[in-house]
Amino acid sequence: MNNKWEASMETLSVGEQFAEKVKDNAKKDRIRRMMPIILLVVMTAIGAITQKNFFSARNLVNILYQMSIPLVISVSLMFVLLLGSIDLSIEGVMGFAGSFTAFLVQNRTNSNNFGIFGILIVLVICTCVGALTGFIHTKGRIASFITTYAVGQVMTGVAVLVYNSTPIAVTEPAFVTISQGRLFGIPYLTLMSFAIFAIGAIILNFTAFGRAVYAIGDNETAAASTGINVTLTKIKVFALSALMASAAGILMCIRLKLGQSSIGLNQMFPVVTAIVLGGGSLYGGKGGALSAFVGVLVYTELTNWLTLMGVDTYLRGVIQGVIIIVAVTLTIERTRKTISK
Amino acid sequence: MAGQLLFKANGVGKTYGLNTVLRDIDMEIYSGEVIGLIGENGAGKSTLMKLIAGVTKPSMGSMELQGQPYSVNSILEANKHGIGMVFQEQSLVANLTISQNIYLGREKKYATLGFVNWAKMNADAKKALERIGIDLDVTKKVRDIDFAMRQMVEIAKVLDVVTETANGHAIILLDEPTTVLSDDEIKALFEQVRKMKEAGNAVIFISHRLDEVLEITDRIYVFKDGEETGVFPTEGADTNILYERMVGRVATGEFYIENRQTVATDEVVLQVKDLSVFGAFNHVSFDLHKGEVLGLCGVEGSGKEDVCAVLIGDVEPTSGKVIIGGKERTFKNPYQARHAGILSVPKERRDEGMIGILSIENNIVISHMEALQNGFILSGKKTEGIANEWVKKAGVKCVGIKQHINQLSGGNAQKVIFARALESNCPVLILNHPTRGVDVGSKEEIYTLIREMTEAGNSIIVIGDTLDECIGLSSRIIVLKDGLVTAEFDCPVGNKPTQMDIVQTMM
Amino acid sequence: MAAEKSKFSFQSISKYMYLLSIVVVFAIFTILQPNFISLYSIQNMCGEIAPRLIMACGLTFVIFTGGIDLGAGYMVSATCVLTGLYLPKVGNWIIILVALAGLCMGTLNGIITTKLKLPSFIVTLCTQNFWNYIALSLCPDGSVIVPMTMRDVTAWMTYPILGIPATFWFSLIGLAALFVFQQYTKNGRAIYSVGANAQAARVAGVNIDSAQISAFAVSGLCCGLAGIMYAYKLRAANPTVGSTLQLSSLAAVALGGTAMAGGFGSVTRTLCGVITITAVTSGLNILSVNPLWQNIIIGIILIVAVILNSDNGDRNLVIK
Repeated sequence: MNNKWEASMETLSVGEQFAEKVKDNAKKDRIRRMMPIILLVVMTAIGAITQKNFFSARNLVNILYQMSIPLVISVSLMFVLLLGSIDLSIEGVMGFAGSFTAFLVQNRTNSNNFGIFGILIVLVICTCVGALTGFIHTKGRIASFITTYAVGQVMTGVAVLVYNSTPIAVTEPAFVTISQGRLFGIPYLTLMSFAIFAIGAIILNFTAFGRAVYAIGDNETAAASTGINVTLTKIKVFALSALMASAAGILMCIRLKLGQSSIGLNQMFPVVTAIVLGGGSLYGGKGGALSAFVGVLVYTELTNWLTLMGVDTYLRGVIQGVIIIVAVTLTIERTRKTISK
Repeated sequence: MAGQLLFKANGVGKTYGLNTVLRDIDMEIYSGEVIGLIGENGAGKSTLMKLIAGVTKPSMGSMELQGQPYSVNSILEANKHGIGMVFQEQSLVANLTISQNIYLGREKKYATLGFVNWAKMNADAKKALERIGIDLDVTKKVRDIDFAMRQMVEIAKVLDVVTETANGHAIILLDEPTTVLSDDEIKALFEQVRKMKEAGNAVIFISHRLDEVLEITDRIYVFKDGEETGVFPTEGADTNILYERMVGRVATGEFYIENRQTVATDEVVLQVKDLSVFGAFNHVSFDLHKGEVLGLCGVEGSGKEDVCAVLIGDVEPTSGKVIIGGKERTFKNPYQARHAGILSVPKERRDEGMIGILSIENNIVISHMEALQNGFILSGKKTEGIANEWVKKAGVKCVGIKQHINQLSGGNAQKVIFARALESNCPVLILNHPTRGVDVGSKEEIYTLIREMTEAGNSIIVIGDTLDECIGLSSRIIVLKDGLVTAEFDCPVGNKPTQMDIVQTMM
Repeated sequence: MAAEKSKFSFQSISKYMYLLSIVVVFAIFTILQPNFISLYSIQNMCGEIAPRLIMACGLTFVIFTGGIDLGAGYMVSATCVLTGLYLPKVGNWIIILVALAGLCMGTLNGIITTKLKLPSFIVTLCTQNFWNYIALSLCPDGSVIVPMTMRDVTAWMTYPILGIPATFWFSLIGLAALFVFQQYTKNGRAIYSVGANAQAARVAGVNIDSAQISAFAVSGLCCGLAGIMYAYKLRAANPTVGSTLQLSSLAAVALGGTAMAGGFGSVTRTLCGVITITAVTSGLNILSVNPLWQNIIIGIILIVAVILNSDNGDRNLVIK
């Protein structure tokens, strides 16, 4: 690295050297941005080699089905991570949404039968919880990880309280129809998840709100100076995150026809891994819908492969941990003056 | 040539606490003219820009815009009045496209039901760029274009913001726009400035390079120590007079306690040999002698700060050697540098100097705790004793050593940080803007501390807050320009170089 | 203006919150259940406090630096499992071995955080999976009981002194040692300086890497000790013992008034926080409130405590 510069030092003026450095950084950045695509190709190749029927319609549909819940959660994290914050309450909110949905629709435990209104009630409550989280985080000036961690714990507690230790079995006929129905061979659940993801992607890419999220994540002070309402945007992001988490929880409830807090268990961390694999930054400003999608796809292929290799859930957690540490280490820029705590 | 009166400042000033950084400024801006602001670092140019651009509010005086009183609370509000500033540190969002950046925060006029009509926005962005003669793909992300182009985009953005409201009589503030540009790019920029001017706008231009100011401006305001020392039409301006006004009055030798200036010994404590950092400075060499104060002079971006950064391990040198205590050393961080005997008093006192919510005592002993231990246990008696001693010696005005340092005034906090540096037992001390934001009384006490340092056998590298200070304190001065050493001056008491001598090698 | 006024009163509450909360909690429970303060319940509570105190005090150091350890609970589980499983093989020497293991776990967190320059909440979010893996892969079918034959070997740890289990006295000794570390060692003060203003501490030539690593190492060591205490107390290797401890120890630290942003606080304040939180949990038990409420209540306590002692004026940071 040093030698590379030393050679050209004599011929360039200091100003030109500076420009050279900037160009070099841009080049490195472009290579970094190619990484997720390379990973996708590698994982697909591994899949094709290790699994005989990898490209069969059945396997592809199966992969899409596996992607569906993580994809919905990835919308939450996509926005929150773009801000450079994190939402550790996703699992709690998911668990609560699943449990409370089961509580409100036709079920074996009580006589409630709110149907679609039950789902709406859950979505509204969770969005409010998210907005409250955002409010505490921004107005109380408390780091998001601690705020969302606490809120997540509270929501998990409320979830368990809802069904009081015996998970609620759902008997709602619509749930049965949805969980088993298919359109062109693709499960309804998969289609719904992809639709939700598409909505998330549209909000991110085609609204001023989406731009504001990018701007805040990249440079909060600069964003504020162009007149963006930073606080409001952040509150909206956390509300949206909780909304999406609750949607994921409801989908899980439909899939399992059972409402319990463990619906959310170990759902958030894999998606963080996926987004990082897709080239998203945990420091904000980098990433987006496409990278989230690629990340979730790569991650699903990776999980399939690990399962095939006989790796159990807990060891998978270890592998996820290592992946995040390595991927983040490779992608962040730091100088000697960088300090992280 | 001058059009109608756009802007007028009457006796504007700004104080931060006890410290006055700008006082009694009168200024008139007419449409269709380019105004240059020149002065040393800290002369008040940037502060005045900030007042006009709405970043901060003046502490005294008043401003008028087109005959109406002008008082704004934010950049945004200033924009609405047709005043926009292109900042030194660029404020573009790297991961958004050019057009998204130009209309960031102003998407409303392209939005229906929250969804933005990007095609229309892109078309308008293209027009905004064409207005300043730039043809660029506006859907490119900002991270993919070079610095010069970013600067242009920024200018286009500001121009677009202000012309939206000012119909032809905008005021554009350019704060050092040329530092990152090459010669061709500067030419292109000036072309744009001329176009803006012809369109009836006014431009305020700040640069460290006098030749640029002379080339592009119509009138020049000269600043010195927060005061306006002269206004000249650019045509026929005498550079010597400009220099003279910039350096202004000279403080007496007494102010810098020159009678206590030590004569450097022959003993070399620190040797810098052919040191280079790619893109910052090249081939810098000097010897630092025991008991010497060595001044580094140069405009911002000349590389003087980077030399110091290498010496405390913040930046890795590309080539060259640092020899201290007879051994060649490389440092990875300031901790290693301190152990080798180099400690710095940083420029940004609040961010890098004061450990705000800790006590004065902890702030003083933090750089030298190794010496205050009995075994592994830090002696409370020793740390308190040392803190009390320094508070008395440096004349820190405080309630007691347990008081938090962020409750002290700037000058007193700086004295605590000097006490820390002296307590550290490091033979080489780097003082980066030692009196920045310090009131006059404390300045004198800090100068006394500096003299005491050299009398005790320490060697000092100083980057002065002003040129005057640098000359007053130093026994030798090295001047950097564009990353290269351009001159070296000996500064014995009674025969110091004048500021004119040095400025001419700096700019 | 109004906002500023309310901020001011917030700060004055937070100043004495750690004492106030103890008084309030004990008062409420005594009113609701006059037997709340009895010799029996106090003895009981002291036994409960011991491991929590050690764990929370360790965590306090990480928070002094402005970092966090989200995996401390899992670390307690892992060390509890290690102790319970290997106690029959090595006897009481296990204490030293597991304490070392805890130290290494913490040090690993510290090294990744400082050398790779990643934020600690990410690092510990990742490494908690490691500890969870250790706990659950060694005890895949839940708790493993320490054989009855080992009773004599483990009894000393819970032997009552003045009617209170020995663990409590051990934890107080631990607290004293940690207090000395915090107040009167080079690294202790360096840890504060990192939390107060890391950039300035760095420029002042403080070895901030070593300060941060030692904070994590102490936290790991304390988690190890807490795990040992649980294993001895439960006489079992319990792989999920720490799962509720993470929240309650964070809440205890916050309730003590230690700043989450770092640079301010004390382990003695954490002691007060631990007493309050333990009183809350055992009070809820005595009132036979559904234990499901515990997480909710402690979660809310955490949020409120953190809001009360977040310092708004001093540091103009971008909060993410």
